[in-house]
Amino acid sequence: MIIKIAFKNIWRNSLRSWTVIIAITLGIFGGLAVISTATGLSKMRQNNAIETYISHLQIHDTNFLQFSRINDTIPQKAELISYLNSSKLVNGLSKRIKTESFIQSAGGTSGVILNGISPDNEKNVTRIYQKLNHGNYFQKHKRKPPIILSQILSTKLNAKINTTVQCSFVNSYGESVVCVFKVIDIFQTNNSLYDEVNAFVKMEDLKAYAKLKGIHEIAVKLEDESNVETFRNELISKFPNHQIDSWRGIAPELGYADKMMNLILIIFLIIIMLALAFGIINTMLMAVLERKKELGMLLSIGMNKKKVFGMIIWESVFLALLSGPLGLLCSYIAITTFAKKGIDLSFAASGLRSVGIESTIYPYVENRFYYIISILVILTAILSSLYPAIKALKLNPSETLRTAN
Amino acid sequence: MITIKNIRKTYQSGDIEVQALQDISLTIKPGEFTAIVGPSGSGKTTLLNIIGGLDSPTKGSVKINETDITQLPENELIDFRLHHIGFIFQSYNLIPVLTAKENVEFLMLLQKKNEQARNERTLKLLKAVGLEDQIHKRPNEMSGGQQQRVAVARALASKPSFILADEPTANLDSKSSENLLNIMQRLNREEKTTFIFSTHDQRVIDKANRIITIEDGKIISDTSQ
Ligand SMILES: Nc1ncnc2c1ncn2[C@@H]1O[C@H](COP(=O)(O)OP(=O)(O)OP(=O)(O)O)[C@@H](O)[C@H]1O
Ligand SMILES: [Mg+2]
Repeated sequence: MIIKIAFKNIWRNSLRSWTVIIAITLGIFGGLAVISTATGLSKMRQNNAIETYISHLQIHDTNFLQFSRINDTIPQKAELISYLNSSKLVNGLSKRIKTESFIQSAGGTSGVILNGISPDNEKNVTRIYQKLNHGNYFQKHKRKPPIILSQILSTKLNAKINTTVQCSFVNSYGESVVCVFKVIDIFQTNNSLYDEVNAFVKMEDLKAYAKLKGIHEIAVKLEDESNVETFRNELISKFPNHQIDSWRGIAPELGYADKMMNLILIIFLIIIMLALAFGIINTMLMAVLERKKELGMLLSIGMNKKKVFGMIIWESVFLALLSGPLGLLCSYIAITTFAKKGIDLSFAASGLRSVGIESTIYPYVENRFYYIISILVILTAILSSLYPAIKALKLNPSETLRTAN
Repeated sequence: MITIKNIRKTYQSGDIEVQALQDISLTIKPGEFTAIVGPSGSGKTTLLNIIGGLDSPTKGSVKINETDITQLPENELIDFRLHHIGFIFQSYNLIPVLTAKENVEFLMLLQKKNEQARNERTLKLLKAVGLEDQIHKRPNEMSGGQQQRVAVARALASKPSFILADEPTANLDSKSSENLLNIMQRLNREEKTTFIFSTHDQRVIDKANRIITIEDGKIISDTSQ
């Protein structure tokens, strides 16, 4: 009966109830919209980085990343490769050799990491081949060994396509070598830090110049990103004398950005909940004060305080229960629609691209956030009705009955 | 049996002390149909509120049967009211979102009576107050007189030892007032329920079989007729 009265009470001032319902609905919607857009953004940045140049996992000799010595090649290359090739989780892998080198052109000098790759394998792992000005991923070249420079380096060295550049580094025998490459194409990812220090040459060319047998790096792309950590652990236990990193370890800055984003999200949610709480406190307080006489009458005739308190809490709970599903439904529809279509941000695209964001965002939200937001909103609603409910208990029946209205 | 001994009630309003009741002693026996009369501000409401446990006296005791309600903690007092005292107010008697039937049933639900008992008593009482064809109407769909009749039925529903009615007819026209009083009178006989009501209305006073007149917080006459 108390519950029934509470439910009916909320429709006594339906305009006010709808205001609260819409406020809660917007609260849920706003919360989820912010979370999904932010998550979509950071996922996109991550995926961009992973797919363009990081890949899911990288395997090195335990010393290589620290010292970058040319002879720190992967110890169990053959076993590793056959293990990776036979794993169902693996989508593609690329072997690389890497040397730190000076690069010199008529226009200037710079340091660069030469990545010796096999283009066909590399295509399975990274998308540098899609980021080329002319799409020449070592298909067309003359006698001179080809090199692909980034836009940044090309500008810095003033080395356009078909110009020749000179690289010098130390080979596996500790001898200085100088070799000549011809620029055949220019690439540009949306990470300028990466672009500044990386250049691509053919594996066999670099191998010959460096007089190197082994390889320095195996980049692995998995079928499914969510398996990264388990597969990494599997590899670590099978090949303990290797350094095996996931993309999180290789590019920790991507994770930091996420942590920052989470903090901002939490602050945002707190603000939304606070706004919601004040809305509900205000509304329920009005509902209580407006009904002073009636509440006084109920206390007089024998409805105990627990029940009066419960009735007011139930009123808020009903408001929250009505708006909860409404908010979730709106959010779900909006998020799934935009998750397919994407939110077009092309008007701001050039600015966004420089920080690793494409012009279309696909909002994404983990299912658990639907629960979290709902529980948060309903909890907020209930907590905010506590004050008005306590206020109702403080009513003195004889006083309320005396006062006119 | 209600026994009031040496009741005093002093209100503090600002610096001024208002002696609303001064040393009132009174006994009300079961089955009485008693009117409390007096000019405005004489202390009728204050007295009824103290008898009903809605307000506590500054001094004195109120014994209902064997319980001194001035000694009860607040929660027990509410529970005591639920089981022993019926109330009819001047207005705002009913829960606006409930129908006549549900309003009458309400206290029996709080008393945890079973559904059959509730239904039987509700229908009997609504019939007794002449509203058997209005049971599904909400208060705002009924006239003031009808609402007060529902309030009478509601007050009786919990089978209280006595019913307190503070100016139950104040908002009614003379015809509805008389009708309400007739119903109260009949129920007083049939249900053997004690009624104590305050009023200004001479025709209402005439129905009472005991008239207690107070002035300035003191009983100046107490006559049975
Ligand atoms: N809360 C209060 N604070 C101060 N004085 C009060 C308070 N309640 C009542 N009084 C005073 O107590 C006295 C008795 O008031 P009460 O309401 O009992 O009179 P009443 O006989 O019911 O009058 P009416 O016929 O107008 O209803 C009055 O002088 C009133 O002003
Ligand atoms: Mg009065």
